[in-house]
Amino acid sequence: MRYRGWLLPPALRDFHEGRIWLKDHSPFSSVDLEKAIQRKYVSIIEGIQMKPAIKCNRCHNTDPHLFTQFDCSKCQQQCVYCRHCIKMGRVSSCTQLMIWTGPKAIKINKHSLKWAGQYTELQQQAANETLASMKAKRSHLIHAVCGAGKTELLFPSVYDALKRGLRVCIATPRTDVVLELYPRFQQAFPETTIHALYGGAPYQNGYAQLVIATTHQLYRFEKAFDVIIVDEADAFPYTFDETLQRAVEKAKKEKAPLVFVTATPSAALLHTFQQESYSFIPKRYHNHPLPVPQVRSLWGYEKCFKRGKIPKRLKKWVEERLHQKDPFLLFFPTIDLMKRATPLVQELNEDILAVHAADPERKEKVLKLRNKEVPGLLTTTILERGITISNVQVAVIGAESLIFTANALIQIAGRVGRDVQFPDGEVLFFHHGITAEMDEACAKIQFYNKKGFSE
Amino acid sequence: MNKIESHCLMCTQSLKITISWKMILTKQFSPTICERCVARFVPSQSATSLYQYNEAMKDYLHQLKFLQDVALAKVFRQELHNRLTKEKAIILPIPMHPLKQQERTFSHTDELLKAAHIPFIQLLEKTTTETQSSKNREQRIQAAPLFRLKEGAQVEHKNYLLFDDIKTTGTTLQHAEHVLMQSGAKNVQYFTLIEG
Ligand SMILES: [Zn+2]
Ligand SMILES: [Zn+2]
Ligand SMILES: [Zn+2]
Repeated sequence: MRYRGWLLPPALRDFHEGRIWLKDHSPFSSVDLEKAIQRKYVSIIEGIQMKPAIKCNRCHNTDPHLFTQFDCSKCQQQCVYCRHCIKMGRVSSCTQLMIWTGPKAIKINKHSLKWAGQYTELQQQAANETLASMKAKRSHLIHAVCGAGKTELLFPSVYDALKRGLRVCIATPRTDVVLELYPRFQQAFPETTIHALYGGAPYQNGYAQLVIATTHQLYRFEKAFDVIIVDEADAFPYTFDETLQRAVEKAKKEKAPLVFVTATPSAALLHTFQQESYSFIPKRYHNHPLPVPQVRSLWGYEKCFKRGKIPKRLKKWVEERLHQKDPFLLFFPTIDLMKRATPLVQELNEDILAVHAADPERKEKVLKLRNKEVPGLLTTTILERGITISNVQVAVIGAESLIFTANALIQIAGRVGRDVQFPDGEVLFFHHGITAEMDEACAKIQFYNKKGFSE
Repeated sequence: MNKIESHCLMCTQSLKITISWKMILTKQFSPTICERCVARFVPSQSATSLYQYNEAMKDYLHQLKFLQDVALAKVFRQELHNRLTKEKAIILPIPMHPLKQQERTFSHTDELLKAAHIPFIQLLEKTTTETQSSKNREQRIQAAPLFRLKEGAQVEHKNYLLFDDIKTTGTTLQHAEHVLMQSGAKNVQYFTLIEG
């Protein structure tokens, strides 16, 4: 080997391995990049491919509606760009995408698992089954009720993969969940380099053998992972964004197995896995049954709110919570209805707050409820998952609305009784007519309880 | 290209568009954003601009200029068309510095007018790559001319309407007006999408 006066900066390799990246957005100097390209450590591909059909080479979007053509001042031609992944830096015809093909990052094969917790029998079984599937390179579905303790049971599989030098990704649709999982994995794997990736995440040093990312960030990887764990697999935005699923497919190596973790698997997921690679945990880690929703009519609640009044039954329920000092969540089907109801509910207690998806103070408000600084929150479905508040009580207003699918209702009910100190609590479905989705949610919860406590 | 958008260009919600006879007969553009997004923009009281600057406009400009989403140039095409189509003066969009334009890959003022089917010409050239907002008031006033006339441009005895996306301080428009008046233009007015 001839020394040519340039040495590959390890940081360049560590960052770009497994990634598909806009060359103009690389965090490294153009001098180093050009040298790496000369050495054929990097392959460059066009941003948008036109044949056989139009396709974005980063996010694999192929929907012609999501491409826009314009007169480009950079390439002096008619250029096409992808609107689907535009928030991550625009990819157009004249954009160069770089893929690392050079020397591989040096993996530190020193990992340790620091977790002193105890598994329940069901958790242990699911952890063993998942590990067996991973070792056999077989995809696996973990179907665990809300509060079953699904994160911990991933530890043995992740640990085993890391020790074998495999690159692991935990992907979840929500940034909130990434931020919650990251410190837990850092604690469990203190010697492993772990990166947390989400929109607006800072640059992180080194090569991460374990990546915790939003599913969106997977667009920026290509054939990178030996194992991908998809957490909250049913919670993709719009529940079923095909291109997001393609992102998972593209970010993993060809034969890499997937692990799906969810409390509410789709029929398609169940159908695919139920026969073999399937773990089912119908019981919570604290061995108490899931709270079963109570269904209550609230006829004409919409008109009632419009007249400036809180429906009587709801008012009574909120007053009881205030009296007993139980924190509570009121779920509304629309922002409009919630906004109408907010001042009325605040007449009962002025500290009650409302949150919705675009609320910049969302996190602070949830924290206030957790710290008992406010007695309760009004919310849209945005808080249906991911949050844990001790002793919280829940009511759904307008449970018959289309947005409250059986899965959404199960997730909402799953907020209650997670803390071993307060394993019970009330879940109310206030409605203007009972729907099949409501029936299904109640039936499933009862079925889990029956399964979990059959012995 | 008068492509009919199936989804809101700003929030991606699907658009329920019914093509009315009125739309066809009066050659109206089809909508590009949903009613909810339309409602976030507040019309301006001023005769020299269309909208006020607010949170929605901030988002809009960020996506158009910073994220380079040229498709958004179409969002206000109907309103711009209505306002400018009968304009008798010659319309001059405020140009970007060529290097800046290459970097952004398009000039947003040109694209706004193109989308609205408003004819325009270019007579001015930007002389600096610096932005106005990076300077303080004194620096802005004393700054060297921001524009010069293109070579061979004839401006004498004609009326002009300068067009920009937003009137932040007015310095940009003043500089452009000054160059044109110095070169013998009869009258120079301005119009912006957003009042500052
Ligand atoms: Zn794309
Ligand atoms: Zn181009
Ligand atoms: Zn919209």
